[in-house]
Amino acid sequence: MDILSVEKRLSLVRFRIHEKPHIVIDVSKCEECDYKVCVKACPAGLFSIDDEGRLHFNYEGCFECGTCRIVCPNEAISWEYPPGGFGVSLGFG
Amino acid sequence: MSGGEKFDVIVVGGGPSGISTGYFLAKKGFDVVVLERGEDIGTKNMFGGRIYSHVFDNYFPGWRSEAPIERWDEREKFTVLCKEDSISITFNKESSSEHSSFTAFLSKFLKWMANYAESSGALILPGVKVDRILFDENGGVIGVEAGGDRLESDYVVIGEGVNTVLLEAMGLKSRPSPDDVAVGVKEVIKLSRNVINQRFGLEDGEGIAEFLIGSPVNKFYGGGFLYTMDEYVTIGAVVKLRHIYDAELNIMDLAELLRTHKYIYGLLREGTLVEYSAHLVGENVSKLYSGKPYGDGYLIVGDAAGTLINTGFTIRGVDYAVESGRLASIAIEKSHSDGDRSEKHLSYYKRLLDASIIGRSVKKFSRVSSLLSNPRIHHQYVDLTCELFSQIYSVGEESPSLREAFNMAKRGRVGLLRMLLDLINVWRSL
Repeated sequence: MDILSVEKRLSLVRFRIHEKPHIVIDVSKCEECDYKVCVKACPAGLFSIDDEGRLHFNYEGCFECGTCRIVCPNEAISWEYPPGGFGVSLGFG
Repeated sequence: MSGGEKFDVIVVGGGPSGISTGYFLAKKGFDVVVLERGEDIGTKNMFGGRIYSHVFDNYFPGWRSEAPIERWDEREKFTVLCKEDSISITFNKESSSEHSSFTAFLSKFLKWMANYAESSGALILPGVKVDRILFDENGGVIGVEAGGDRLESDYVVIGEGVNTVLLEAMGLKSRPSPDDVAVGVKEVIKLSRNVINQRFGLEDGEGIAEFLIGSPVNKFYGGGFLYTMDEYVTIGAVVKLRHIYDAELNIMDLAELLRTHKYIYGLLREGTLVEYSAHLVGENVSKLYSGKPYGDGYLIVGDAAGTLINTGFTIRGVDYAVESGRLASIAIEKSHSDGDRSEKHLSYYKRLLDASIIGRSVKKFSRVSSLLSNPRIHHQYVDLTCELFSQIYSVGEESPSLREAFNMAKRGRVGLLRMLLDLINVWRSL
């Protein structure tokens, strides 16, 4: 059966992206992290690990749910809402 | 200081609780503004799809003919999803003519609520994010700062939702733990009204609310849901954050695995996915509600105050959030007329909450969250049920008796004593 990729699903949602990221990761705190639970937990799949084990993050496509900042065991994530009028904009909700 | 205009009350957040606060205060004659960070009302809000109607029946005259109601829930269904098979129990509400819940899209419903509040005199401003709450030298709230502007008020009501970023930054709340909150993922699928009516056995305007356990949401010990809208179906799952750490799946794949389970897929075939989204949901009811939702000049309403209750079968979110806004308006009215906006005086709000349906529900359902976390419910008992039905209805030459089928299904899964103890626990939690 056809499983739609998360990229395809995010393309259905309107994101008004601000130039300044509202989530900033201190990746130095991620080097010794065994969990990297953010990769599994983000419902938009915005965290990834490259071949050398480094963590990458893209704030575009963020639902602003807050899951990552709560699951992170190292307090590596500084998290704010985007400025007024920016970020995810749901039509159904 | 820019601006200069002073409001009686500033409400932070234009969700169900914030708009409700604005509406009830405006009706009492207060000069109130609701600040919403989304570009439009409802654009940051998401939920499963069901709203309980009592609070609207009581306080929003004429709402049934005006509000964007999708369908009234006529049927309640509980489905166990096996790997491929499924087992369902349906409750058909034929005996009661009074509807008590309906399905809706929260973004649309909130736009209606905002219009309703505005016609009572509330000012609702989308596109404005509150960056901090302003206090005087004695620690009393005097207003907010938003996008570089200062706005002053006698009271601030915070309804920022379950993801309490502002309250945490202001030191008014601590960050929830992965045991306190869950993440909900949801998909909206477009289908025609006739197809929905046929596949779910409904008439126009009648809806079904479905609660799902088993595959694939059991990978996270979570639960699933399905709601019928007029020309859409919403499906989704709710997973406690603690259960993500050791899971073998990614949350981003969960909604699609649910949608493509044979049972759901059959119901939604030829449908078109039109929206995917995610939001946090309160889980540990007694902890999230236990904080102090008031202080000198401020009150906290809705999910930010832990008013969402998971009863095990139903989630009471929007209606309780709206009720908390109403109670906040009563506390502010009394504080204003007594000329005392101290923390001590505003503690009246907490007493109102505790005595309301919200406080009573917190007491009643405080153990449900831990009950639903029992891994045996999601794995051994789901497998046992699936195997039992499969045995009973796998009729070859000789039908198995119920006892034979049960013993075959139970083999190697769980002992009888363990089952008995779990059953006692379920009983004591409900």
